[in-house]
Amino acid sequence: MATLAHEAHTPTQTHAEVTRDVVNTLGTAGRGYFMLLGLAVAMFLVGAATFVALLKYGLGLAGYTPPVMWSVYITTFVFWIGIGHAGTLISAILFLFRSPWRTVVYRATEAMTVFAVMTAALFPIIHIGRQWFFYWLLPYPNARYLWPNFKSPLIWDVFAITTYFTVSSTFLVVGLVPDVAAARDKMFGWRKKIYEIASLGWKGTHEQWRHYTRAYLYLAALATPLVLSVHSVVSWDFAMSLVPGWHGTIFAPYFVAGAIYSGVGMVLTLLIPLRKALKLEHMFTEYHFDNLAKLTLFTGSILFYAYAMEYFVGWYSANKFEQTTFWLRAFGPMWWAGWTMIICNAFVSQLFWFKKIRTNLTALFVISIFINIGMWFERYVIIVSSLSNDFEPWAWGQMTPTWADWGILMGSFGWFGMWFLLFARTFPVVAIQEIKETIPWPRLRKGGH
Amino acid sequence: MTDESASEQIDRRKFLKVLGVTGGGALALSGCSTDQVTKLIPYLVQSEDQVPGIATYYASTCSECPAGCGLHVKTREARAIKLEGNPEHPVNAGKLCARGQAGLQGLYNPGRLKGPKARAADGSLQEITWDEAINRLADKVGAARGKLAVITGAGPGTFSDLLSAWTTALGGHVVRYQAFDHEPMRAANRQVFGTDELPAYDFAKARYIVSFGADFLETWMAPVEHQRGFAESHGYRDGQMGKHVAFGPRMSLTGMNADEWHAIRPGSDAVLALAMANLILSERTGAPADANGLRGVLAPHTPEAAAQETGLSAEVIKRIAREFASAKPSLAVAGGVGNQHRGATELCAAVNILNYVAGNVGQTVNFGAALAAGDGYGALNDLAKRVDAGEITVVLVHEANPIYSLPKSSKFAAKFAKAAFKVSTSLFLDETARECDLLLPGHHALERWDDARPRQGVTGLMQPVMQPVFKTMATGDVLLKVAQRLGGPLASISAPSFEAYLKNAWQSQVPRGSDFDSFWRAALQRGGVYGSAPVSSVRLAPGAQQVGYHKPAFDGTEASSGFIFSAYPSSMLHDGRGANRPWLLEMSDPVTKITWHSWVEIHPDVARDLDVQEGEILRLTSPFGSIEAPAYLYPGLHPGLVAVPLGLGHTEFGEYAKGRGVNALDLLNGDGAGGFLPYLSTRVSVAKTGKYQRVAKTEGNVRQLGRGIADALTLEQARSGVAPALAEKAGAHETEENPPREVPALKGWRAEQQEAYRMGAYAQDFPKWAMVVDLARCTGCSACVTACYAENNIPTVGQEQILRGREMTWMRIERYYEGGESPGEPLETRFVPVMCQHCGNAPCEPVCPVYAAYHTADGLNGQVYNRCVGTRYCSNNCPYKVRYFNWLAYGQQAFQEPLNLQLNPDVTVRAKGVMEKCTFCIQRIRGAQNQARMEDRTLADGDVVTACAQACPSSAISFGNIKDPASRVATLATDQRGYHILEDLNVHPSVTYLAKVLHQVEG
Amino acid sequence: MAKPVAGVLGSFVHIDAATEAIRALRAEGRTGFTVYTAAANHEVEEALGITSSPVRLFTLIGGLTGCAAGFGMTLWMSVDWPLLVGGKPIASVPPYVVLAFELTILIGALSTVAGTLILSLLKPTTGLAYDPSFSDDRIGIFVPVGPEQAGSVERLLKTAGAEEVRRED
Repeated sequence: MATLAHEAHTPTQTHAEVTRDVVNTLGTAGRGYFMLLGLAVAMFLVGAATFVALLKYGLGLAGYTPPVMWSVYITTFVFWIGIGHAGTLISAILFLFRSPWRTVVYRATEAMTVFAVMTAALFPIIHIGRQWFFYWLLPYPNARYLWPNFKSPLIWDVFAITTYFTVSSTFLVVGLVPDVAAARDKMFGWRKKIYEIASLGWKGTHEQWRHYTRAYLYLAALATPLVLSVHSVVSWDFAMSLVPGWHGTIFAPYFVAGAIYSGVGMVLTLLIPLRKALKLEHMFTEYHFDNLAKLTLFTGSILFYAYAMEYFVGWYSANKFEQTTFWLRAFGPMWWAGWTMIICNAFVSQLFWFKKIRTNLTALFVISIFINIGMWFERYVIIVSSLSNDFEPWAWGQMTPTWADWGILMGSFGWFGMWFLLFARTFPVVAIQEIKETIPWPRLRKGGH
Repeated sequence: MTDESASEQIDRRKFLKVLGVTGGGALALSGCSTDQVTKLIPYLVQSEDQVPGIATYYASTCSECPAGCGLHVKTREARAIKLEGNPEHPVNAGKLCARGQAGLQGLYNPGRLKGPKARAADGSLQEITWDEAINRLADKVGAARGKLAVITGAGPGTFSDLLSAWTTALGGHVVRYQAFDHEPMRAANRQVFGTDELPAYDFAKARYIVSFGADFLETWMAPVEHQRGFAESHGYRDGQMGKHVAFGPRMSLTGMNADEWHAIRPGSDAVLALAMANLILSERTGAPADANGLRGVLAPHTPEAAAQETGLSAEVIKRIAREFASAKPSLAVAGGVGNQHRGATELCAAVNILNYVAGNVGQTVNFGAALAAGDGYGALNDLAKRVDAGEITVVLVHEANPIYSLPKSSKFAAKFAKAAFKVSTSLFLDETARECDLLLPGHHALERWDDARPRQGVTGLMQPVMQPVFKTMATGDVLLKVAQRLGGPLASISAPSFEAYLKNAWQSQVPRGSDFDSFWRAALQRGGVYGSAPVSSVRLAPGAQQVGYHKPAFDGTEASSGFIFSAYPSSMLHDGRGANRPWLLEMSDPVTKITWHSWVEIHPDVARDLDVQEGEILRLTSPFGSIEAPAYLYPGLHPGLVAVPLGLGHTEFGEYAKGRGVNALDLLNGDGAGGFLPYLSTRVSVAKTGKYQRVAKTEGNVRQLGRGIADALTLEQARSGVAPALAEKAGAHETEENPPREVPALKGWRAEQQEAYRMGAYAQDFPKWAMVVDLARCTGCSACVTACYAENNIPTVGQEQILRGREMTWMRIERYYEGGESPGEPLETRFVPVMCQHCGNAPCEPVCPVYAAYHTADGLNGQVYNRCVGTRYCSNNCPYKVRYFNWLAYGQQAFQEPLNLQLNPDVTVRAKGVMEKCTFCIQRIRGAQNQARMEDRTLADGDVVTACAQACPSSAISFGNIKDPASRVATLATDQRGYHILEDLNVHPSVTYLAKVLHQVEG
Repeated sequence: MAKPVAGVLGSFVHIDAATEAIRALRAEGRTGFTVYTAAANHEVEEALGITSSPVRLFTLIGGLTGCAAGFGMTLWMSVDWPLLVGGKPIASVPPYVVLAFELTILIGALSTVAGTLILSLLKPTTGLAYDPSFSDDRIGIFVPVGPEQAGSVERLLKTAGAEEVRRED
């Protein structure tokens, strides 16, 4: 098994086969694809309708119950931002580490990143009380002669997310150019024209490669600290406040690990069906899933530690407020959510100690679903349960989500799915040129150098 | 300026005429975010006493309950926008309760009748003109020939005099009716002292107060006056503080404010009072000589006997009796409506004796004031019988709603229906008006000329402060017009208008040597004529020998129905007259913190036995009827009791009241035996329905978990100068020693924090506004909260939103329980008014991305609504959770016309999606500063009074510039009882709380 | 479409053949030729003796600009309308580090991309002969020469092991 997996990472097929297989995934799709796309669009429309209702009547339609002033929307926001991180990790960080198994998977994950961030970026607008004034958070010269408050973590958010979206989408596009060119050269008719434009006149001359490879390297180098910073900033939305259960020094690393964990979960959820749909089973081999699973195991274990630390510190701090918060998190009205998060994240990920599970696609898929659920609940628990019982006991209160919460949540999945599906059929979901880089060229004389 | 609602009633000519009367101006926009402005009309003639944007105040008198408090009505551009107490008035001395302030919502109530109506042939009520209406009335009363009766709730005063003169001239008779008429007290006074007047009680003077179920802080007699007195007596000042003991089956707000509350067996309190009197007499601690004659009567009532009856221990009774006797003067009160059982008269008599033997009569119990009272339930019952018998054919109902406020079992409605012609002058289409044939909606007290004599020596005036909101007519004028038309017997009663009639009547009061006009003007300005009440000393009457105790009877058999039922008056809705005022409905009940609906109070232990959860709908069935309401588990009950507040369950009375909650009266016996309505007289069976309804309450966690939010000191600690932080043993204050190597680091850190705080407080030469709340004085009555609603245009959000915890109360009164967890352990209640603490290091400020929350130069925690985009981060980061978010368009929904006329133009009506919170009444601060600038002087202490501080009947709240060492807040803030909530968070709040002071309870 | 450049286009299957041809061409002192590959390949780079791209300069300058812009913006804007919040200094550096960092990354990344485009445009590929197979599995070498020298170049490529040699004119 291991040997097979090992060989798998220097692809057995030739350059020609790679081009052929990948380019074949493009073009007209089957009924199944369009049904999926339709579903995604429908879900998105539900979300859109809900948003219109929120605009008209106000956020009161959602289940907010003071003191719980943030709930499902911010939860979902953090969830999607987190999803993004695995993509950048695989495409950028593993690139710097020259990790051989990333080559095949990175394009899909990078795309996932961009769309996840696109989804997350909607929430700062959706969740505020006067959505039509969201741009007041941007520093632009305005009639009020007022600049935003750069001390507010929410402004850090704005900058972090814009940067993250710009950089990760640039990274995706740059990576695509040579592949689009390859596709272009296999296409005919109107399709050829489109790819011609999209390929920005790429010909693969040695000059182009010279600058391209460098630029790609630097982009990766910039994306690496960025991905770490973005979720740290998001975590500071909470850590910078004084709410017991939020005000924690471990939040940045804890959130980054969580983000990657959830991201890899989503990667698995997406790739396992995708490789089948696009008939790329011979490219996405167990070797890749095995490695993804190991990454999950690693980040999952960090989460395990972080959870443990939260409770330990809560108890050890001898701070009444912290103690109450964490006691109630485990045994209070939201105990079920608290345990969902711990089981799905800390415990389920431990199953990956077993290679049998790491290389069993069905198991992987099921577990990846648990991860997605678990990570959504992690944010829900941190946000809602901490807010519902902080300093002033008289002000304590429990919230229950309403249709407006679920509507927006559903819409976010629709929005994400819509973009991802469109991408999968339009652009190569596997990096042709990077795989070719790993395939040895044929030689006339044996030996070579 | 004008807006639709008013413009339809006002043509400019009439309008300018009004300026002469009320000195009114134009009607202003309703708040800032209004979208109803139709046209702007500039002044044609600028009236000299009306400056747009400057408030005009008129003195008036509150007519919400018989206490007759004095008012200052704040008007802006000829709209009344706020009611405040009249500082010169002897009863309320500038303070006003929640009900009194909500009088404004009576004036602007959407449920008001917009003009006269008459029952048409098809039985429907049709609008008619006033001339027509008066003709009809004249015809009917003219033809009544003695078969005329009037039911009036109007207190003593010129109008009442006119009404009785008018009625008697027509050969009819008047029944003065008050729902809560204290008949047992009057009967007892007659029996014991030979006078049936109601005395004035001097709580301020009393050093030991024992209440036998008299809710003197809520609805009993003159609550505001009592609360002022209670605060004086029971508030802590230089080592001294009175003591308050409450006996009764239910712990009312008054009971919550007692140092000791003892749950006694319902109806057993008379023997308790007698036993105390007996003990005091036998131990001869300064009883009047003639009291000795009572020894014989009192002898059988030993503390042991009393213990038997009440379920208390004889020791407790003895201790309290001795404390009561040794504290001079002391005061015992009884006769609360909620405790009005069959033996109520006996109880009041016994308490009279107790006061007498303790030497309180003439000290704290002062006869001579003769507080206003009606003719009693008996009189109304007789009238009903006569109507039933056909002896009365024409009934005029004025300021009363008997069909609602009498139990169904009294069959009043059926008897009333027999009258051939029924007239109502009610402002609203209430249950009684609905049955009437002619509706002559009167003016609201703020729209008419009138006066009131709530007690001897006090006459309050009412004057029109604005143009009537609707086409109504003062009933006084109606009577005069009828007299004019009929002539004959009424010829003697003639005046061009009731105003003239009133002035004429006042001629008699002009003191020698002063002309009427100057006297009248002075009276108008002061709001009336206030003299001191004559004090008449009383002696024991022969009836005193008849005092005794008999187990009061309860309807229904013990077997069939286990619980005794208590229908108690709601401190917000009173007898139900408040049920159409959104403020009073949303104002959470001070005891249970429930809003907008009825509930059944049941003891937690009993609930456990019956397996009843909060919110489970219980069916209470008495021999007279049955009601269903959700359960609320309340530890302040005698386990044998279930209690339901009065005031809801209206079938008419405007959209706010109609069909809301249940009417507790349905379970009561209305036979009127003993001449009063017994509110604590039936047994009920409690049945689980299995249905549930979430209780719309603003109550959170009722235990403060040792977080030092509502701190208290024992009297000894307070005297020995212990600081609350040290007295508080648990929670936030429990800090461990730092290891030595941490100390330097912490020092640096603290220095930085102090630096930061100085920046937050603007070390420069600005004032720093601060507040001090004395928890030893606060009774939790919620007058301050209502004042806040009125001053700051706070929207009411309604039951559904309250279920989501979205009430907008800028200041809320938190009610924490201490003790009472193990059986026998006394339950202590602590009230803490919590508003924005205006922190120096405000956590809400730095997290706002758009600077909507920022720090003003005078140390305020500013909130700029227009800047707010609604991220709500500030609220998450606020440890006190005093920021409130406009989840929906509350500002638009809450003030439906004409309620929008009550809005304070100085305060923005907040839009959907923005955060709001207490501003320390910044509009008042800036107003005072501008005033000072115009008068070219510096701001003096007391120039700025926040709405809450102004209203607080116990003067628990003080406000001012803490940087001015001479100011009241500066001195109070340094009081050793002072502490900050959650001080350890280093947010440096501007609000200092003075810890409550507790008497230790022996044994 | 610019008019095609005259020259010789050789297409290789084998990497070693291609590199040999490149070396031979350089030995003859030819520099103006272009090599097409479907993926970056260091053997080709070696053969061409390519030095690493100056795009790094763009990255560095962009990054520094972003950092400066970040601090500049935040500090100036705080002072431009000083509002006190939570008792914190008007211009407090620690929180602004976050923004400076984000802008460093943002502008750094954008200028890198800009750099690549600019540098690539310095050597336009328009008119150079090209074959779709070069983006698939063939290695292409195009030598722009006039007809008089074309023969020798053809021979050179053939001997190196070109699968196919075509003359463009």
